[in-house]
Amino acid sequence: MAPSEATSTPDLHYAIRSAAEEAGAKAVAVAFHDYGSRTAWCLEGDRSFHAASTIKVAVLAVVYALIDEGEISPLSRLHVRNRFASAADGSPYRVGAGRDANAAVHAQRGKTMRIGDLAHHMITTSSNLATNLLLDLAGVERARELLDRMQVTGVDLRRGVEDEKAFEAGINNRVTAAGLVSLFRAIHEGEHHSEESRDAMLETLHAQEFRSAIPAGVPDGTRVAHKTGEISTVSHDAGIVTPSGGDSYVLAVLTEWEPDNGSRRETIARISRLVYDHLDAVAALEQVEGEGDDE
Amino acid sequence: MMSEIGLRSLRVVDATKLGDELVAALRPGQVVEDRHGVSRRLPRYFYEIPSWEDALEIEVTPSFSLWEFMDVDLREEEGVRTFPRYVPLAVTVLAAHLEVFRRETDTYVHIAANGGYRSPAHRLSANASPHMWGTAVNIHRVGDDDLDGQEAIERYARLARQVLPALWIRPFGEEPGEADDHMHLDVGYLVVEPRGVEPDDEIDEEDA
Repeated sequence: MAPSEATSTPDLHYAIRSAAEEAGAKAVAVAFHDYGSRTAWCLEGDRSFHAASTIKVAVLAVVYALIDEGEISPLSRLHVRNRFASAADGSPYRVGAGRDANAAVHAQRGKTMRIGDLAHHMITTSSNLATNLLLDLAGVERARELLDRMQVTGVDLRRGVEDEKAFEAGINNRVTAAGLVSLFRAIHEGEHHSEESRDAMLETLHAQEFRSAIPAGVPDGTRVAHKTGEISTVSHDAGIVTPSGGDSYVLAVLTEWEPDNGSRRETIARISRLVYDHLDAVAALEQVEGEGDDE
Repeated sequence: MMSEIGLRSLRVVDATKLGDELVAALRPGQVVEDRHGVSRRLPRYFYEIPSWEDALEIEVTPSFSLWEFMDVDLREEEGVRTFPRYVPLAVTVLAAHLEVFRRETDTYVHIAANGGYRSPAHRLSANASPHMWGTAVNIHRVGDDDLDGQEAIERYARLARQVLPALWIRPFGEEPGEADDHMHLDVGYLVVEPRGVEPDDEIDEEDA
Protein backbone atom coordinates (compact mmCIF):
# COMPACT_ATOMS: atom_id res chain seq x y z
CA MET A 1 0.00 0.00 0.00
CA ALA A 2 1.45 3.39 -1.02
CA PRO A 3 1.95 5.95 1.73
CA SER A 4 -0.59 8.77 1.78
CA GLU A 5 0.31 12.42 1.53
CA ALA A 6 -2.08 13.69 4.21
CA THR A 7 -0.09 15.56 6.86
CA SER A 8 -2.39 18.29 8.13
CA THR A 9 -5.73 17.54 9.74
CA PRO A 10 -7.78 19.17 6.92
CA ASP A 11 -5.84 16.96 4.49
CA LEU A 12 -6.53 13.92 6.67
CA HIS A 13 -10.20 14.79 6.86
CA TYR A 14 -10.39 15.09 3.08
CA ALA A 15 -8.35 11.95 2.44
CA ILE A 16 -10.52 9.82 4.72
CA ARG A 17 -13.73 11.15 3.23
CA SER A 18 -12.42 10.48 -0.25
CA ALA A 19 -11.35 6.93 0.61
CA ALA A 20 -14.76 6.17 2.07
CA GLU A 21 -16.68 7.74 -0.82
CA GLU A 22 -14.59 5.98 -3.46
CA ALA A 23 -15.38 2.64 -1.79
CA GLY A 24 -19.09 3.40 -1.57
CA ALA A 25 -19.36 3.70 2.22
CA LYS A 26 -22.61 5.22 3.40
CA ALA A 27 -20.95 6.71 6.46
CA VAL A 28 -17.53 6.87 8.07
CA ALA A 29 -16.35 8.03 11.47
CA VAL A 30 -12.78 8.09 12.69
CA ALA A 31 -11.20 9.11 15.98
CA PHE A 32 -7.71 8.80 17.36
CA HIS A 33 -5.72 9.74 20.42
CA ASP A 34 -1.98 9.97 19.87
CA TYR A 35 0.21 9.47 22.93
CA GLY A 36 3.28 10.83 21.11
CA SER A 37 1.93 14.25 20.20
CA ARG A 38 -0.71 14.14 22.96
CA THR A 39 -3.35 15.10 20.45
CA ALA A 40 -6.81 13.81 19.72
CA TRP A 41 -8.73 14.13 16.48
CA CYS A 42 -11.99 12.92 15.11
CA LEU A 43 -14.18 12.93 12.05
CA GLU A 44 -17.84 12.39 12.96
CA GLY A 45 -16.52 11.22 16.31
CA ASP A 46 -19.91 11.37 18.02
CA ARG A 47 -21.89 9.67 15.27
CA SER A 48 -23.58 6.59 16.69
CA PHE A 49 -23.29 3.21 14.93
CA HIS A 50 -24.51 -0.29 15.65
CA ALA A 51 -21.59 -1.63 17.69
CA ALA A 52 -21.44 -5.11 16.13
CA SER A 53 -18.62 -7.06 17.80
CA THR A 54 -16.68 -4.02 18.98
CA ILE A 55 -18.97 -4.15 22.05
CA LYS A 56 -16.97 -7.20 23.13
CA VAL A 57 -14.15 -4.87 24.19
CA ALA A 58 -16.54 -3.28 26.68
CA VAL A 59 -17.42 -6.74 28.02
CA LEU A 60 -13.70 -7.50 28.31
CA ALA A 61 -13.13 -4.34 30.36
CA VAL A 62 -16.09 -5.22 32.59
CA VAL A 63 -14.92 -8.81 33.15
CA TYR A 64 -11.49 -7.65 34.27
CA ALA A 65 -13.05 -5.00 36.50
CA LEU A 66 -14.99 -7.80 38.20
CA ILE A 67 -11.78 -9.79 38.52
CA ASP A 68 -10.11 -6.78 40.15
CA GLU A 69 -13.04 -6.49 42.56
CA GLY A 70 -12.45 -10.09 43.59
CA GLU A 71 -15.87 -11.26 42.44
CA ILE A 72 -14.42 -13.70 39.93
CA SER A 73 -11.01 -14.96 38.88
CA PRO A 74 -9.60 -15.71 35.41
CA LEU A 75 -9.48 -19.31 36.61
CA SER A 76 -13.12 -19.37 37.79
CA ARG A 77 -15.16 -21.84 35.81
CA LEU A 78 -18.44 -20.94 34.11
CA HIS A 79 -21.08 -23.32 32.77
CA VAL A 80 -21.25 -23.14 28.97
CA ARG A 81 -24.98 -22.95 28.40
CA ASN A 82 -26.45 -21.60 25.19
CA ARG A 83 -29.61 -20.02 26.57
CA PHE A 84 -30.03 -16.31 27.25
CA ALA A 85 -32.86 -13.97 28.14
CA SER A 86 -33.78 -11.39 25.50
CA ALA A 87 -33.39 -7.76 26.52
CA ALA A 88 -36.72 -7.14 24.81
CA ASP A 89 -39.05 -9.38 26.81
CA GLY A 90 -36.96 -11.88 28.75
CA SER A 91 -37.82 -14.73 26.40
CA PRO A 92 -35.04 -17.26 25.81
CA TYR A 93 -32.81 -17.14 22.76
CA ARG A 94 -29.68 -18.94 21.63
CA VAL A 95 -26.52 -18.13 19.74
CA GLY A 96 -26.58 -19.95 16.40
CA ALA A 97 -23.58 -22.25 16.23
CA GLY A 98 -23.47 -21.86 12.47
CA ARG A 99 -23.36 -18.07 12.71
CA ASP A 100 -20.68 -17.93 15.34
CA ALA A 101 -17.10 -17.48 14.15
CA ASN A 102 -15.89 -19.70 16.97
CA ALA A 103 -16.87 -23.36 17.29
CA ALA A 104 -14.59 -24.12 20.24
CA VAL A 105 -16.91 -22.63 22.86
CA HIS A 106 -19.99 -24.32 21.40
CA ALA A 107 -18.12 -27.64 21.64
CA GLN A 108 -17.94 -27.16 25.41
CA ARG A 109 -21.71 -26.89 25.85
CA GLY A 110 -22.76 -28.53 29.10
CA LYS A 111 -19.24 -28.32 30.53
CA THR A 112 -17.43 -25.47 32.21
CA MET A 113 -14.77 -23.13 30.88
CA ARG A 114 -12.43 -20.72 32.61
CA ILE A 115 -13.36 -17.04 32.58
CA GLY A 116 -9.95 -16.16 31.13
CA ASP A 117 -10.39 -18.62 28.29
CA LEU A 118 -13.87 -17.34 27.50
CA ALA A 119 -12.54 -13.77 27.41
CA HIS A 120 -9.79 -14.92 25.04
CA HIS A 121 -12.29 -16.59 22.68
CA MET A 122 -14.61 -13.56 22.87
CA ILE A 123 -11.87 -11.28 21.54
CA THR A 124 -9.48 -13.31 19.42
CA THR A 125 -12.06 -15.22 17.39
CA SER A 126 -15.06 -13.07 18.31
CA SER A 127 -17.06 -15.85 19.97
CA ASN A 128 -20.64 -14.69 20.39
CA LEU A 129 -21.39 -17.50 22.84
CA ALA A 130 -18.45 -16.55 25.07
CA THR A 131 -19.58 -12.92 24.96
CA ASN A 132 -23.11 -13.71 26.07
CA LEU A 133 -21.91 -16.03 28.82
CA LEU A 134 -19.66 -13.33 30.24
CA LEU A 135 -22.20 -10.54 29.91
CA ASP A 136 -24.89 -12.75 31.43
CA LEU A 137 -22.59 -13.37 34.38
CA ALA A 138 -21.83 -9.68 34.87
CA GLY A 139 -25.36 -8.44 34.17
CA VAL A 140 -26.03 -5.54 31.80
CA GLU A 141 -26.79 -3.02 34.55
CA ARG A 142 -23.65 -3.87 36.48
CA ALA A 143 -21.62 -3.73 33.29
CA ARG A 144 -22.96 -0.27 32.51
CA GLU A 145 -22.11 0.91 36.02
CA LEU A 146 -18.56 -0.33 35.66
CA LEU A 147 -18.15 1.34 32.27
CA ASP A 148 -19.43 4.60 33.80
CA ARG A 149 -16.88 4.23 36.55
CA MET A 150 -14.18 3.87 33.90
CA GLN A 151 -15.47 7.17 32.43
CA VAL A 152 -16.12 5.45 29.13
CA THR A 153 -18.60 7.49 27.11
CA GLY A 154 -20.08 6.77 23.70
CA VAL A 155 -20.34 3.02 24.34
CA ASP A 156 -23.94 2.04 25.00
CA LEU A 157 -24.02 -1.58 26.18
CA ARG A 158 -27.62 -2.76 26.21
CA ARG A 159 -27.74 -6.50 25.50
CA GLY A 160 -26.03 -9.71 24.44
CA VAL A 161 -25.27 -10.47 20.81
CA GLU A 162 -27.69 -12.23 18.44
CA ASP A 163 -30.69 -11.09 20.48
CA GLU A 164 -33.04 -10.81 17.50
CA LYS A 165 -36.09 -9.79 19.51
CA ALA A 166 -34.15 -6.92 21.03
CA PHE A 167 -32.87 -5.96 17.57
CA GLU A 168 -36.44 -5.84 16.25
CA ALA A 169 -37.44 -3.75 19.27
CA GLY A 170 -34.62 -1.29 18.54
CA ILE A 171 -32.59 -2.28 21.61
CA ASN A 172 -29.03 -2.38 20.32
CA ASN A 173 -25.47 -1.93 21.47
CA ARG A 174 -24.18 1.30 19.97
CA VAL A 175 -20.82 2.99 19.81
CA THR A 176 -19.22 6.14 18.53
CA ALA A 177 -15.65 6.42 17.27
CA ALA A 178 -14.81 8.75 20.16
CA GLY A 179 -16.46 6.30 22.54
CA LEU A 180 -14.35 3.38 21.40
CA VAL A 181 -11.25 5.54 21.72
CA SER A 182 -12.23 6.34 25.31
CA LEU A 183 -12.72 2.63 25.98
CA PHE A 184 -9.37 1.60 24.55
CA ARG A 185 -7.71 4.49 26.39
CA ALA A 186 -9.22 3.23 29.64
CA ILE A 187 -7.71 -0.18 28.96
CA HIS A 188 -4.34 1.10 27.75
CA GLU A 189 -3.85 3.71 30.46
CA GLY A 190 -4.84 1.26 33.17
CA GLU A 191 -6.25 3.75 35.67
CA HIS A 192 -9.31 1.63 36.34
CA HIS A 193 -7.75 -1.83 36.35
CA SER A 194 -4.90 -3.54 38.14
CA GLU A 195 -1.63 -3.82 36.23
CA GLU A 196 -2.16 -7.56 35.95
CA SER A 197 -5.62 -7.12 34.45
CA ARG A 198 -4.42 -4.40 32.08
CA ASP A 199 -1.65 -6.67 30.84
CA ALA A 200 -4.04 -9.59 30.42
CA MET A 201 -6.50 -7.48 28.40
CA LEU A 202 -3.75 -6.11 26.15
CA GLU A 203 -2.32 -9.57 25.63
CA THR A 204 -5.76 -10.82 24.62
CA LEU A 205 -6.35 -7.89 22.26
CA HIS A 206 -2.90 -8.38 20.69
CA ALA A 207 -3.81 -12.01 20.01
CA GLN A 208 -6.65 -10.94 17.70
CA GLU A 209 -6.86 -13.35 14.78
CA PHE A 210 -8.81 -11.10 12.37
CA ARG A 211 -6.08 -8.86 10.95
CA SER A 212 -7.57 -7.55 7.72
CA ALA A 213 -8.59 -4.05 8.81
CA ILE A 214 -6.43 -1.70 10.93
CA PRO A 215 -3.39 -4.04 11.02
CA ALA A 216 -3.49 -4.46 7.24
CA GLY A 217 -2.91 -0.73 6.83
CA VAL A 218 0.21 -0.34 8.94
CA PRO A 219 3.81 -1.41 8.22
CA ASP A 220 5.18 -4.75 9.29
CA GLY A 221 6.48 -4.66 12.84
CA THR A 222 3.64 -2.44 14.04
CA ARG A 223 1.74 -4.03 16.92
CA VAL A 224 -2.04 -3.68 17.01
CA ALA A 225 -4.25 -4.67 19.96
CA HIS A 226 -7.72 -4.44 18.48
CA LYS A 227 -11.23 -5.72 17.89
CA THR A 228 -13.16 -5.77 14.66
CA GLY A 229 -16.93 -5.68 14.34
CA GLU A 230 -19.00 -6.58 11.35
CA ILE A 231 -22.65 -7.14 10.54
CA SER A 232 -24.38 -6.80 7.17
CA THR A 233 -24.47 -3.01 7.24
CA VAL A 234 -21.48 -1.96 9.33
CA SER A 235 -17.79 -2.75 9.47
CA HIS A 236 -15.57 -1.40 12.24
CA ASP A 237 -12.16 -1.79 13.77
CA ALA A 238 -10.70 -0.12 16.83
CA GLY A 239 -7.56 -0.64 18.82
CA ILE A 240 -4.18 0.46 20.07
CA VAL A 241 -1.50 0.81 17.41
CA THR A 242 2.14 0.74 18.45
CA PRO A 243 4.56 1.49 15.59
CA SER A 244 7.98 -0.09 15.77
CA GLY A 245 10.09 2.36 17.78
CA GLY A 246 7.25 4.87 18.00
CA ASP A 247 4.58 5.99 20.41
CA SER A 248 1.23 4.28 20.58
CA TYR A 249 -2.03 5.72 19.37
CA VAL A 250 -5.62 4.62 19.85
CA LEU A 251 -7.67 4.50 16.66
CA ALA A 252 -11.31 3.76 15.90
CA VAL A 253 -12.67 3.48 12.35
CA LEU A 254 -16.43 2.95 12.03
CA THR A 255 -18.14 2.51 8.69
CA GLU A 256 -21.62 1.87 7.35
CA TRP A 257 -22.37 0.14 4.03
CA GLU A 258 -24.93 -1.35 1.75
CA PRO A 259 -25.11 -5.07 2.64
CA ASP A 260 -23.40 -6.34 -0.51
CA ASN A 261 -20.34 -4.11 -0.50
CA GLY A 262 -17.16 -6.16 -0.52
CA SER A 263 -14.46 -3.54 0.01
CA ARG A 264 -15.20 -2.58 3.57
CA ARG A 265 -12.12 -4.05 5.26
CA GLU A 266 -9.82 -2.72 2.56
CA THR A 267 -11.29 0.72 3.14
CA ILE A 268 -10.63 0.52 6.88
CA ALA A 269 -7.08 -0.61 6.12
CA ARG A 270 -6.67 2.36 3.80
CA ILE A 271 -7.93 4.75 6.46
CA SER A 272 -5.65 3.06 8.99
CA ARG A 273 -2.71 3.83 6.68
CA LEU A 274 -3.81 7.45 6.26
CA VAL A 275 -3.83 7.91 10.03
CA TYR A 276 -0.54 6.08 10.46
CA ASP A 277 1.18 8.26 7.88
CA HIS A 278 -0.36 11.40 9.31
CA LEU A 279 0.91 10.65 12.82
CA ASP A 280 4.28 9.57 11.44
CA ALA A 281 4.57 12.93 9.69
CA VAL A 282 3.52 14.76 12.87
CA ALA A 283 6.16 12.88 14.84
CA ALA A 284 8.82 13.68 12.23
CA LEU A 285 7.83 17.35 12.30
CA GLU A 286 8.00 17.45 16.09
CA GLN A 287 11.42 15.88 15.99
CA VAL A 288 12.69 18.53 13.53
CA GLU A 289 11.22 21.30 15.68
CA GLY A 290 12.74 19.75 18.79
CA GLU A 291 16.15 19.62 17.17
CA GLY A 292 15.73 23.30 16.19
CA ASP A 293 15.05 24.18 19.82
CA ASP A 294 18.32 22.57 20.84
CA GLU A 295 20.42 24.85 18.61
CA MET B 1 -14.56 -52.22 36.48
CA MET B 2 -15.11 -50.53 39.81
CA SER B 3 -12.12 -48.60 41.17
CA GLU B 4 -10.29 -49.55 44.33
CA ILE B 5 -11.14 -46.21 45.88
CA GLY B 6 -14.87 -46.70 46.13
CA LEU B 7 -17.84 -44.95 47.55
CA ARG B 8 -17.58 -47.15 50.65
CA SER B 9 -14.21 -45.64 51.48
CA LEU B 10 -15.74 -42.19 51.83
CA ARG B 11 -16.54 -40.79 55.24
CA VAL B 12 -20.22 -40.17 55.90
CA VAL B 13 -20.75 -36.98 57.87
CA ASP B 14 -23.58 -35.38 59.76
CA ALA B 15 -23.39 -31.98 58.08
CA THR B 16 -24.91 -30.19 61.07
CA LYS B 17 -21.53 -30.76 62.72
CA LEU B 18 -19.48 -29.11 59.96
CA GLY B 19 -18.09 -25.58 60.22
CA ASP B 20 -20.41 -22.59 60.35
CA GLU B 21 -19.74 -21.53 56.77
CA LEU B 22 -20.58 -24.96 55.39
CA VAL B 23 -23.64 -25.33 57.58
CA ALA B 24 -24.88 -21.96 56.34
CA ALA B 25 -24.40 -23.09 52.73
CA LEU B 26 -25.58 -26.72 52.96
CA ARG B 27 -28.33 -25.99 55.52
CA PRO B 28 -28.47 -29.64 56.63
CA GLY B 29 -31.84 -30.76 57.96
CA GLN B 30 -33.35 -27.33 57.51
CA VAL B 31 -36.69 -26.65 55.91
CA VAL B 32 -36.97 -24.85 52.58
CA GLU B 33 -40.00 -24.19 50.41
CA ASP B 34 -40.37 -25.24 46.83
CA ARG B 35 -41.81 -22.85 44.26
CA HIS B 36 -45.33 -24.00 45.14
CA GLY B 37 -44.81 -23.10 48.81
CA VAL B 38 -44.49 -26.70 49.98
CA SER B 39 -42.02 -27.16 52.85
CA ARG B 40 -39.22 -29.69 52.32
CA ARG B 41 -36.52 -30.80 54.75
CA LEU B 42 -32.99 -30.76 53.32
CA PRO B 43 -30.66 -33.76 53.71
CA ARG B 44 -28.45 -34.00 56.74
CA TYR B 45 -26.00 -36.78 55.88
CA PHE B 46 -23.38 -36.35 53.21
CA TYR B 47 -20.43 -38.15 51.66
CA GLU B 48 -17.19 -36.27 52.29
CA ILE B 49 -15.04 -36.20 49.15
CA PRO B 50 -11.41 -35.36 49.93
CA SER B 51 -10.25 -34.22 46.47
CA TRP B 52 -11.22 -33.78 42.84
CA GLU B 53 -8.96 -36.71 42.00
CA ASP B 54 -11.08 -38.89 44.28
CA ALA B 55 -14.25 -37.55 42.67
CA LEU B 56 -12.85 -38.46 39.26
CA GLU B 57 -11.90 -41.93 40.34
CA ILE B 58 -14.86 -43.00 42.45
CA GLU B 59 -17.53 -44.80 40.46
CA VAL B 60 -21.01 -44.53 41.93
CA THR B 61 -22.19 -47.06 39.37
CA PRO B 62 -20.27 -48.74 36.55
CA SER B 63 -21.15 -45.87 34.17
CA PHE B 64 -21.19 -42.82 36.43
CA SER B 65 -18.38 -41.33 38.45
CA LEU B 66 -18.93 -39.11 41.44
CA TRP B 67 -17.52 -35.97 39.78
CA GLU B 68 -20.39 -35.98 37.29
CA PHE B 69 -22.83 -35.22 40.11
CA MET B 70 -20.75 -32.43 41.62
CA ASP B 71 -19.47 -30.42 38.65
CA VAL B 72 -20.51 -26.83 39.41
CA ASP B 73 -19.40 -23.42 38.24
CA LEU B 74 -18.66 -20.18 40.07
CA ARG B 75 -22.34 -19.75 40.90
CA GLU B 76 -21.87 -22.30 43.65
CA GLU B 77 -20.80 -20.92 47.02
CA GLU B 78 -17.02 -20.87 47.18
CA GLY B 79 -16.86 -22.83 50.45
CA VAL B 80 -18.96 -25.58 48.90
CA ARG B 81 -16.60 -25.72 45.91
CA THR B 82 -13.58 -26.14 48.17
CA PHE B 83 -12.38 -29.63 49.12
CA PRO B 84 -13.28 -31.57 51.08
CA ARG B 85 -16.66 -31.33 49.37
CA TYR B 86 -19.99 -32.84 50.34
CA VAL B 87 -22.72 -34.64 48.39
CA PRO B 88 -25.96 -36.02 49.92
CA LEU B 89 -26.11 -39.79 50.34
CA ALA B 90 -29.16 -40.04 48.09
CA VAL B 91 -26.93 -39.43 45.08
CA THR B 92 -26.46 -43.22 44.97
CA VAL B 93 -30.18 -43.76 44.42
CA LEU B 94 -30.18 -41.26 41.59
CA ALA B 95 -27.10 -42.88 40.05
CA ALA B 96 -28.75 -46.32 40.17
CA HIS B 97 -31.69 -44.95 38.18
CA LEU B 98 -29.37 -43.30 35.72
CA GLU B 99 -27.48 -46.54 35.25
CA VAL B 100 -30.71 -48.21 34.14
CA PHE B 101 -31.33 -45.36 31.71
CA ARG B 102 -27.74 -45.52 30.48
CA ARG B 103 -28.06 -49.24 29.72
CA GLU B 104 -31.29 -48.65 27.83
CA THR B 105 -29.70 -45.95 25.66
CA ASP B 106 -26.56 -48.06 25.19
CA THR B 107 -24.45 -44.93 24.94
CA TYR B 108 -22.93 -42.17 27.04
CA VAL B 109 -25.22 -39.99 29.13
CA HIS B 110 -23.76 -36.56 29.85
CA ILE B 111 -24.79 -34.57 32.93
CA ALA B 112 -24.46 -30.78 32.52
CA ALA B 113 -22.37 -28.62 34.81
CA ASN B 114 -24.59 -27.30 37.63
CA GLY B 115 -26.86 -30.18 36.67
CA GLY B 116 -26.16 -32.53 39.56
CA TYR B 117 -26.01 -31.63 43.26
CA ARG B 118 -26.35 -27.91 43.97
CA SER B 119 -26.28 -26.55 47.49
CA PRO B 120 -29.04 -24.25 48.73
CA ALA B 121 -26.44 -21.45 48.49
CA HIS B 122 -25.94 -22.00 44.75
CA ARG B 123 -27.12 -18.94 42.82
CA LEU B 124 -29.50 -21.14 40.79
CA SER B 125 -31.12 -22.47 43.98
CA ALA B 126 -33.96 -19.97 44.36
CA ASN B 127 -36.45 -22.50 45.76
CA ALA B 128 -36.24 -26.07 46.95
CA SER B 129 -35.31 -28.30 44.05
CA PRO B 130 -34.28 -31.98 44.08
CA HIS B 131 -30.85 -30.77 42.92
CA MET B 132 -30.40 -29.66 46.56
CA TRP B 133 -31.07 -33.25 47.66
CA GLY B 134 -28.60 -34.74 45.16
CA THR B 135 -31.52 -36.52 43.51
CA ALA B 136 -31.79 -34.63 40.21
CA VAL B 137 -29.74 -34.34 37.05
CA ASN B 138 -29.85 -32.22 33.95
CA ILE B 139 -28.76 -34.28 30.97
CA HIS B 140 -27.54 -32.20 28.05
CA ARG B 141 -26.32 -34.91 25.72
CA VAL B 142 -26.96 -38.61 25.09
CA GLY B 143 -24.43 -40.21 22.77
CA ASP B 144 -24.25 -37.90 19.75
CA ASP B 145 -27.62 -36.27 20.45
CA ASP B 146 -27.70 -32.80 21.95
CA LEU B 147 -30.78 -32.48 24.13
CA ASP B 148 -31.50 -28.89 23.13
CA GLY B 149 -34.75 -29.26 21.24
CA GLN B 150 -38.22 -30.67 21.70
CA GLU B 151 -37.78 -33.77 19.55
CA ALA B 152 -34.64 -35.06 21.27
CA ILE B 153 -35.77 -34.16 24.78
CA GLU B 154 -39.16 -35.82 24.39
CA ARG B 155 -37.69 -38.89 22.67
CA TYR B 156 -35.33 -39.59 25.56
CA ALA B 157 -38.01 -38.67 28.11
CA ARG B 158 -40.26 -41.38 26.65
CA LEU B 159 -37.43 -43.87 26.86
CA ALA B 160 -36.69 -42.93 30.49
CA ARG B 161 -40.36 -43.26 31.46
CA GLN B 162 -40.57 -46.69 29.86
CA VAL B 163 -37.79 -48.13 31.98
CA LEU B 164 -38.15 -45.94 35.07
CA PRO B 165 -41.81 -45.00 35.52
CA ALA B 166 -41.19 -43.43 38.95
CA LEU B 167 -38.83 -40.77 37.61
CA TRP B 168 -40.02 -37.18 37.37
CA ILE B 169 -39.09 -35.61 34.04
CA ARG B 170 -39.67 -31.96 33.41
CA PRO B 171 -41.84 -31.32 30.35
CA PHE B 172 -40.34 -29.53 27.38
CA GLY B 173 -40.95 -25.80 27.36
CA GLU B 174 -39.68 -22.33 28.20
CA GLU B 175 -41.72 -21.68 31.32
CA PRO B 176 -40.66 -22.24 34.95
CA GLY B 177 -40.87 -25.95 35.73
CA GLU B 178 -40.10 -26.82 32.11
CA ALA B 179 -36.81 -27.36 30.27
CA ASP B 180 -35.85 -26.59 26.69
CA ASP B 181 -32.09 -27.11 26.56
CA HIS B 182 -31.66 -30.26 28.69
CA MET B 183 -33.64 -33.14 30.15
CA HIS B 184 -34.24 -32.84 33.88
CA LEU B 185 -34.74 -36.15 35.70
CA ASP B 186 -35.23 -36.58 39.41
CA VAL B 187 -36.30 -39.16 41.95
CA GLY B 188 -37.98 -36.63 44.23
CA TYR B 189 -37.07 -35.13 47.59
CA LEU B 190 -35.45 -38.28 48.78
CA VAL B 191 -33.29 -38.41 51.92
CA VAL B 192 -30.96 -41.26 52.78
CA GLU B 193 -29.84 -41.71 56.38
CA PRO B 194 -26.99 -44.00 57.38
CA ARG B 195 -27.49 -46.95 59.71
CA GLY B 196 -26.96 -46.23 63.38
CA VAL B 197 -28.69 -42.88 63.51
CA GLU B 198 -30.52 -42.65 66.80
CA PRO B 199 -33.82 -40.82 67.27
CA ASP B 200 -32.19 -38.38 69.69
CA ASP B 201 -30.00 -37.28 66.80
CA GLU B 202 -33.05 -35.41 65.55
CA ILE B 203 -32.33 -31.80 64.77
CA ASP B 204 -33.65 -29.22 67.14
CA GLU B 205 -36.63 -27.63 65.42
CA GLU B 206 -35.13 -24.21 66.08
CA ASP B 207 -32.23 -25.17 63.86
CA ALA B 208 -34.63 -26.07 61.12
